[in-house]
Formats: sequence, C-alpha cells, structure tokens
Amino acid sequence: MADYKFDTLSLHAGQSPDARFGSRAVPIHQTTSYVFDSTEHAAALFNMEVGGHIYSRLTNPTVAVLEQRLAALDGGVAAIATASGMSALFVTVLALCSAGDHIVSSSQMYGANINLFEHTLKRYGIETTFVPPNDPTAISQAIRPNTKMVFGEVIGNPGMDIMDVPAVAKITEAAGIPLVVDATFNTPWMIKPIELGANVVIHSLTKWMGGHGIALGGAVIDGGNFDWGQNDKFPTLTTPHFGYQGAILWEEFGPAALSVRIRTEGMMNVGPCMSPQNAFYILQGLETLGLRMEKHMSNTASMLDFLVNHEQISWVKHPSLSNHPDHEAAMRLMPKGQGSIIACGIKGGRDAGRAFIEGVQLASHLANVGDAKTLVIHPGSTTHSHLSADAMASAGLTDDLIRISVGLEDIKDLKDDFKQSLRTASKVAAAKGTAA
Amino acid sequence: MRITLHNTEIFASTGGRDFDSTGNVVIFIHGSGQSHLGFMLQHRFFANRGWQCITPDMPGHGLSKGTAIKTVEAMADWYADFMQATGITEATLVGHSMGGLIELELASRYPHLVSKAAFISTALAIPVNDALVDLASTKESAAIAAMMDWGHGSSGHIHEHTMPGTSHMFYGKRLMASNTQGALHAGLAACNAYTNGPTAAAAITCPTLTIVCGQDRMTPRKAGLALNRALDGQLVEIPHSGHMSTTEQPFDVNKALRAFF
Ligand SMILES: Cc1ncc(COP(=O)(O)O)c(C=O)c1O
Repeated sequence: MADYKFDTLSLHAGQSPDARFGSRAVPIHQTTSYVFDSTEHAAALFNMEVGGHIYSRLTNPTVAVLEQRLAALDGGVAAIATASGMSALFVTVLALCSAGDHIVSSSQMYGANINLFEHTLKRYGIETTFVPPNDPTAISQAIRPNTKMVFGEVIGNPGMDIMDVPAVAKITEAAGIPLVVDATFNTPWMIKPIELGANVVIHSLTKWMGGHGIALGGAVIDGGNFDWGQNDKFPTLTTPHFGYQGAILWEEFGPAALSVRIRTEGMMNVGPCMSPQNAFYILQGLETLGLRMEKHMSNTASMLDFLVNHEQISWVKHPSLSNHPDHEAAMRLMPKGQGSIIACGIKGGRDAGRAFIEGVQLASHLANVGDAKTLVIHPGSTTHSHLSADAMASAGLTDDLIRISVGLEDIKDLKDDFKQSLRTASKVAAAKGTAA
Repeated sequence: MRITLHNTEIFASTGGRDFDSTGNVVIFIHGSGQSHLGFMLQHRFFANRGWQCITPDMPGHGLSKGTAIKTVEAMADWYADFMQATGITEATLVGHSMGGLIELELASRYPHLVSKAAFISTALAIPVNDALVDLASTKESAAIAAMMDWGHGSSGHIHEHTMPGTSHMFYGKRLMASNTQGALHAGLAACNAYTNGPTAAAAITCPTLTIVCGQDRMTPRKAGLALNRALDGQLVEIPHSGHMSTTEQPFDVNKALRAFF
C-alpha cells in the first residue's frame, strides 16, 4: 500500500481484480440495470444512503472504474464520464447556471465549445462574454455579479493559446466563482489544473486520453476545492434538491456536491451517459497514457525541428517555440512538454495547403486530434473553407495554416512522408508563382 | 441543523432528515481534522431507518465556525453541552478515531447521557508521531497528505469507492483541507496528550461495540483489540479496511452498527 504514482494509477486506479472470477482486465458490464437485494436496498440506493448501481444512465460498474481512474489521475474528489467531451461541458453548465446567469469564456476555443456558449445557452437565457484566455485583466474585468463560472481551454484549439491557470484561479477565487477548464489538449500527464487552482476539469476523452481514435467520451472531474457555501450564487448546491428528500448537497456531500448534482440532474434528466463498451476502450487507452504522451512530446520536438528548418514552411506555431505569445506560461506550467499539436504555414497559400494534405500518405487527413496516428487538416479547405480571409483572420486562422496532431509513428517515417508531400506542395506553389 | 453553542455557530448534519431529540438518538463523533462528512455513509443510512442521527462539526471543523478545542476532555464536555443545547437526554454514541477518545470521556463522565457506545477504528490512546504534529502546524497540506496515505487501506489507495466515481484519497484530502487552519494540529496534539483512556474505559458501564480494522495503520488492530478488552464489549473485525473504515467499508461498518443498535 502506498500513495501510488501516475503510471501506476493509469493502470490500476478504480479497480481490484474482480472478486467472483478474478478477471484482471476490467469486466465490461454490458447491462442497463441491476437487481436489488430487497425493497429496502432499492430504496437506500435511490436515496443515496449507500453506494451501488441502479440504472446505467446514472452509473455502471465499468464506467465507474474509468471515473475513479480519472479522478485519481487528475486529483479530483470524483469524476463523471459522459458520452462525449461536449456533453461533459453541458452537464457542468447545467449544474451551475440558470437563466439570467452569465459566463466568462475564452474566445480561442474549439468551435463547438464556442457555439454552445454563443448560440445554444443564449437561447436559454445564459449570456457569455468572450475574452482572450491569456489576458487575466480582461477576464477579471468581464466578471459580473451574475457570473457563475470562468471557462477556457488550458491549451486552446487550434491556436494553442495558453490559459495561465494559477493566475486566472486567483481571479476566480477572489470573485467567489469556480474556474472550469477544458484539459483535453494537456491531459493530467502534462498538467493537473486542479493542483494549480482550477475547480472543475472537463475532458474530451476522445483524444489523447483514449488515444486510439475508436471511442468518443468525455468527463467532468470535480476538484472538490471550491466552497459552494461562501455566497448565494450556487442555489443548485446550497438549497434543497428537487429530489432526495430535499437534500442540501453542499451539506450532505461537501466537496463532492457538484458531482452529485451532475449525476442526479445532468445524467438523470438529460442522460448523456457513456456506454460500458466505450469506457472499456478508453480504459485500455489510459493504461498507456504516460508512455504515449512521452512519445507524443518527443516526436513533436523532432517534428518542430524539421518544420522550422524546412524551406517550404513559412511559419510554425507551437508553445515550446520562443516566438509563441504564451511561450513563457507554457514552459512554466508544462515543463514535461507543451502538447503535440503544431500549426504551420505552407508557402503557396490555400492551393499548396490542399496539395500537401492530399499528398501525405502516412498522416491521415481527418477532423480529430490526439490519435496515436498522425493527423493533418487544412482548415482553409475544410472546416473553415466557407470563411472569407477576413473572417479566418479574426478566428486566428490563416489561409495557409495546416494543423498537425503529431502521432506515435517512427519519426523518420513521418518526416519522410512530410518531405515528399511538401515537395508536391512546392510544385503547386511554383506553378502558381506564389512560392515566395 | 445550525445552532449557537458557546456563542459559536455550529452545524450538525441530521442525515438529510428532520431531527427529533426525543427519539432514538445516535450521535456520531468525528476524529482529528475530520467533519460530519466522514460519516456521510452512516448518518444518511440510519436517519432513513428511524434513528435520529446527529453529527455535529466540532468548532473549527466542517461547516461550524469557531476555533478548535484543545483537549479530549474539553471536547467531551463540549459534546455534553451540545446534547443539552439540542435537548438530547440520552443517546447512542458512535466515535471514529479521536472521536473514540472523546467517547471514552463522555461515556465515563456523563454515564446518564449515554445508552450505548460504538467505537470505530480507535484505541485507548492515540499517540501521534511528533513529526506529524509539527507538520500539521508548519505545512498542513503535507500532514493531510501523509494522513490520507496512512489512513487508507488497499481500496482507498486504489481509489475504489462504493459511491461510483468517487476517490477516497482526494475526497478525504479536500474534506480535511476545508477545516479551519490549525484544527488538525489541535486535534493531533489533543490525541497525543490524552492518557486517561484505560481509566475511562474501566469506568464505562453501558454496552459497547468495538470495530477493529485489519489494515489500520493509525490505530492498529492490536490497539483496537486492547480497547475492546478494556471495555469488555462486543467486537467486530473488518480485515480488509484501513483506518477510514466509515468510507472505505461502509457496508461492513453499517451492518455491525445496525446489529449493535
Ligand atoms: C478542446 C476540445 N474540447 C472539447 C471537444 C469536444 O469533445 P468530443 O468530440 O469528445 O465531444 C474537442 C473536440 O474536438 C476539443 O478539441
């Protein structure tokens, strides 16, 4: 018995070998519901007097192993796994915000995160002010009396802007509101935001945490480090619950009040639960998180070196490079590595970019990140092709931008693939006379 | 429930049910650096089965205001005053860790207030390593981390909780960190200074239950067995639990308590 370290927790947390059959792997409990011992047992479960499972929309034994493993890795009091990263964010907002409330959010984020705040929540009376994630003063100034959370991605998608978590946590702590961060791009291997003062962590497990690109999933990690009773801003946690005989979650469950609310409202009444099969897949991925992240980081470093020195590349953006605007914060907060997403510009604009993407053979052209396989996308010809050059610029995207999610292939093979494809791109650029 | 005792606002959990002091009252007594939340899986369970459960947070702990009481004897007096203030004339006591020491004093000096006494993961004395007592005042977070490490058995360390998705270690750390600065140090120092256990145990006349845990590294099995010999009461052993048995093995603890109540 010891205070187990990261790689040990990645393999073991949340599970002892199954008592009945001794299964070493986590069993897949492919069931919707669970037989009660007695009516008394059923009532006790429904009233949260005892732990256990009722129905897999709420909890499932395989999913619970994943949740406990995630809580252990991020240093949270509890975790809730969800069907996707998006639903993890949604159930968190649902637990904390009501019509008339306000959110301060990073402006540099994954598109669906932005759209949820800007369009969906707005229709339900929740307003959001968008601010740059790396401008603590702007964050501080945007907070209003009805602000219920500050949200941002620790490493923004796609620009890799860095939120200085400890600096922002000081602001939210003083304002008496929680700091909720999306930690998809960093994973707890790079940085554990709860240890730095964040209160809630959201993950898309679809990316690096799973790593294999075979299962969607999300998670909310409850840091348990926020005093929900310090003001009257969080009535969902400090006044009687609509169920559970009017339990006041902050009094009954203390540091786990938020996760209990999410479980008993978001999961119960909305229902974005993770399937046991997907939990199993993601657990397989988590077992090698530390190993994979090390290789992601070393391959990224080699790839950066290659790109920076390649004549067909006009610019490279990565937080480890001294010209990145958040370089200092990235190196301070993430000394083990600053992520495996690289943005770069291909000389020759949109056409050269398209030629490069179509020319790669090992790297896969698709709309995802964090896979074990290297992924590339040219936003100018895909996700953002409908935007004008001006609109692209204000979203921080340029016409020539290529986003690379560096995978785990042998780095020489990767470089060779990029070399041959950049050669093709250079021919396109030369033909158009835009190589310079 | 919130009451004012000795000019201090005190919170007491009643397990999510209304409290009737004339019913079958069970008072849960928490240990050093803990709060009512350590009994989260006991007071809700028994409150919903007809017992009148009440778990106050001692001053400086949990949701109570004030500063921590400095000696076990004074803590026992505080519980006697709490009972008076809430109209409880007699109760079953359930103490965990330092709560067991408080219970020894309370049951021996105020026998008329106590009908039965259950002792969970506790001993006749709880000597605390001086380095840990010092750490609690110089670097409380390190003392908490050490206590959570020592306090949990195998299921705690592997983060395998009966409440799906919950982590023992981190829940415990946050629970302890939310107490008033200095509360942990006061509790540990009080444990260290308390020597009256054997005398108090000999004076206890009500029925007792001692729950002893096989993986307990804070109040080891041997010390729990010695307490039970001194009390000459019922004994239940939970081999696969560490010190934090109320959260680590709640089913076993509740089964033993239910049979005893
Ligand atoms: C930073 C970030 N957060 C959240 C999400 C949403 O996750 P999911 O696709 O699992 O719903 C994504 C997905 O692309 C992402 O990149």
